[in-house]
Amino acid sequence: MPEQLWFTAFLNRLFAAPVTAFLRMLGIHPKYAVAPIPNSFAMELLVFFLLLAIFLLVRSRLSVESPGGLQHSFEGIEGFVLGQSHEIIGHHSEPYTAFFTILFIFILVCNLIGLIPGFESPTAVAHVPLGCAICAFIYYHTQGFKHSGIKYLLHFFGPPMEGMPLWARIPMAALMLPIEIVSHFARLLSLTVRLWANMFAGDLITLVFLSMIPIGIPVLFLGLHILVAVLQAYVFMLLAIIYVSGAVSEEH
Amino acid sequence: MPSIPDKPDEEKKQSPWVQVGRYSQIAFMLPAGTVAGYLLGALLDRWLHASWISIVGLLLGTAGGLIELIRTISRDLK
Repeated sequence: MPEQLWFTAFLNRLFAAPVTAFLRMLGIHPKYAVAPIPNSFAMELLVFFLLLAIFLLVRSRLSVESPGGLQHSFEGIEGFVLGQSHEIIGHHSEPYTAFFTILFIFILVCNLIGLIPGFESPTAVAHVPLGCAICAFIYYHTQGFKHSGIKYLLHFFGPPMEGMPLWARIPMAALMLPIEIVSHFARLLSLTVRLWANMFAGDLITLVFLSMIPIGIPVLFLGLHILVAVLQAYVFMLLAIIYVSGAVSEEH
Repeated sequence: MPSIPDKPDEEKKQSPWVQVGRYSQIAFMLPAGTVAGYLLGALLDRWLHASWISIVGLLLGTAGGLIELIRTISRDLK
């Protein structure tokens, strides 16, 4: 049996049989049939339901005349993300803000939940940041196609080559196509590795110092871990904004 | 409702935080491009039963990473 957090054990006790049956239907054979749900997925699910509950609470208490503290906090976060996306994308950035905001909040809560005893950061396991990166990857390509239509494909043939004769443009574009495709996949990889490595290393350092000197020093590393968690969520969101900005730009 | 900052779009100067985010990816560009190129090549190698595509992918990935690096830096030097 794998080591399970209390929430994972609770989920496995309730849903192990249907989850195992579903995975087998997809051709995946879990190592432990009685515990197919891993800690990372359970934590991710917990963050999802936690955020859903908070958003429903905020939505039910939404008020223009007397906004509560929670509403103020979320409006502050939304305003901050809107400011950042306006700075990078420009005046037409509003439609994308909802995605960036939820990406930022989700990653931030995933990063920070590991600091509570009895929980662990799902972002310290590589496939969770990969999932977030795939979402960002699909989102910016979708927005690119929505914005420019089929002309978005011109982005994959390198920068505009105005002064170049046609006979030189075609081989240049053919060379740039695989390079651009690889660059886009590199973005996926760099988003994943950056978040995962930082969170994994943060968790490990905190744990090592906690086991060596249990009093005083770990507090410093916990503080550092909080800083890294906020910074990494911010960087992930910022890079997603930069990628969307590149996809919806009028360069071509 | 949160208000949009009244910075004009023409203003090219970005806040230090945006610059931190932008430049923090520079360190990842070259290795990520190289690894992504190699992985895509290895995937194609397995699919097409070849052995040379991973090397081509590696070279293209390195070139892609380098181009992305130059593009990011030259954009900010303008």
